[in-house]
Amino acid sequence: MDSRPRVIRRAAEAAAVLAVVLAFGVGLPAINHAVPARRAVPAGAPFPVGAGVTVVPPAGAQYDVTRTAARASQGAVLFVVGNLRYTVVVLTVDRTLAEAAAALRTKITSRGGYQLVGRQAATSTAQGVPGVQGGYATSGRAGRYAVFVYAGRTVEVTFAGTDLELHDTLPALSASVNSLYFGKAG
Amino acid sequence: MTAANGDLPPIRPRLSHTVLPTPVWTQARRSLRLPAFWVLLGLLGYGAWRLYGLLGPLARAYPSAAVFAVSLFTLYAIPFLLVVRGLDFMEREPPLLMATALAWGGIVATATAALAGRAGHDLLAKQVSPGFAADWGAALVAPAVEEPLKLLGVIVIGLIARHHVNSVMDGIVYGALVGLGFQVVEDIAFALGQVDNSGLGDQVQPVIAVFLLRGFLGGLWSHTVFSAIAGGGVGYALIRRERETPHRYAVLVLAGLGAAGLHFLWNTPVFADGFGAGVAGVLAVLVLKGVPALLLVLALVRVAGHREADYYVRELAAYGDPELATEAELAALRSMWRRSAARRLAADRRGGAAGRAVGRLQRAQAQVAVELSRGGDQVDGYRARAHAERQVLRRLGHPEAYAPGGAAIPWWLWAVLVGGLGALVVLFVTTLGSVNGG
Repeated sequence: MDSRPRVIRRAAEAAAVLAVVLAFGVGLPAINHAVPARRAVPAGAPFPVGAGVTVVPPAGAQYDVTRTAARASQGAVLFVVGNLRYTVVVLTVDRTLAEAAAALRTKITSRGGYQLVGRQAATSTAQGVPGVQGGYATSGRAGRYAVFVYAGRTVEVTFAGTDLELHDTLPALSASVNSLYFGKAG
Repeated sequence: MTAANGDLPPIRPRLSHTVLPTPVWTQARRSLRLPAFWVLLGLLGYGAWRLYGLLGPLARAYPSAAVFAVSLFTLYAIPFLLVVRGLDFMEREPPLLMATALAWGGIVATATAALAGRAGHDLLAKQVSPGFAADWGAALVAPAVEEPLKLLGVIVIGLIARHHVNSVMDGIVYGALVGLGFQVVEDIAFALGQVDNSGLGDQVQPVIAVFLLRGFLGGLWSHTVFSAIAGGGVGYALIRRERETPHRYAVLVLAGLGAAGLHFLWNTPVFADGFGAGVAGVLAVLVLKGVPALLLVLALVRVAGHREADYYVRELAAYGDPELATEAELAALRSMWRRSAARRLAADRRGGAAGRAVGRLQRAQAQVAVELSRGGDQVDGYRARAHAERQVLRRLGHPEAYAPGGAAIPWWLWAVLVGGLGALVVLFVTTLGSVNGG
């Protein structure tokens, strides 16, 4: 039979192990959750995405600092407009437009419940960079995607929200996508 | 008989706290009475559920790549396990505890670190800037989150099976196993993430790229090595009872901080461009960042291994049975390289059967030494086994399992190391080229 102090010590050791794991696995994520991630973006100003690519976000958009990072060779930004999520990703990958579009479609459809809808169509930015665009849907949400390839850089754009949100915001989002600008990389 | 002590230092005088033998009354089922055991079980279940949530969707989306990644990185773990098993020769750890260490690293530590690492990275982005998080997140968050969680795995082993952590070397072994489990599962997760990001569908090429980059170029100085260093600190804190408690815990903290510091050094973005010297520069920086950890763990293994081996060799020497172990065989037992050299010498002289018989003799000698140290009742059985192997060796014309003098590391191993380094350079150049080229 173990002595009472030994039983207490062993229980304390086990509790300490559990506490450390919970501190990392639950405590730190809870602190993170409590700290807001969204920041306002200046209206009408080009926002650096990465690899020399900029985009003018729609009015009223905020960006999520935890999903945003502009680097010399790649980058990403997540804008939030109401409940609508608008993502721009820049990759330095040697691909054709068709290959880049196929890759983005694969990424979308590999997520459970996501499927492509409608036909893919040609588009271009105000700078004249050609691209393709299309639509996708998941339970309760609709989305659009677009891909542009220019000078060794691929830009993947996706935005998704409820049908109503998307309908109301689509002109502003389309104007934002149109503002994508491929500057000097690096 | 040929005494061949080679370049080994003389056996140290008896160090009472170098090894604390497992008492004969130790029983595995006693762990069932410990709260830490049930906490461990609960955390393994929680970790498995979290991992399934993280990796399950990717595995379902890319089944071929998932099977390939799991197979590849499982095979990759085998050489590491063999080396750890070689270090753990004298007093072998129970397979169940070794599996527990692997499972802690591969399930509990990875699942928890995935959540905490994401949160830490996000907090850096929120409190400093997204750019800072992108550049320094891996260097600051990963060591701060992953190293304590892995270290905790060795501490849990110490809590549920205190009497099986007998030496600093045992701490190193359990630490290495925790780190190996973490390394394998993290690499599988990275590989599946890369498959998802590539947009190529259910293809194995991204898995191969991750295998080359993380498995080979970073594998020698990754989690297995970091956690082995930290585990040595746990072993020291538990074993060296002749030291003051603050001193022992200071060593434990120092070992943990050392592991985290080396992890930080490996992940730091400083000089990531290779001093602007292209691929050769990047390779040089990788080596500069990784080699300190490897050298430190090799030094620790050498010191801790010799101390443990000296302890058990002394038990055998005091037993005074030359039929069980000659002076030259005691010298050969003292290091992994010399044990291996003795087996190779026998195989070279009298064929593979002699080499295998030397291996069995060495195992029996180690078992006798461990039984003597713990006052066990199986000494006679193991001694009879050693005597039987001695008869086999006599019949084969190689009666003594000694190691030749001179260099402990054979020429072929140097050839493998140099060849391996060359292959790493080629792999690095090829991989970097393929990554840059998409």
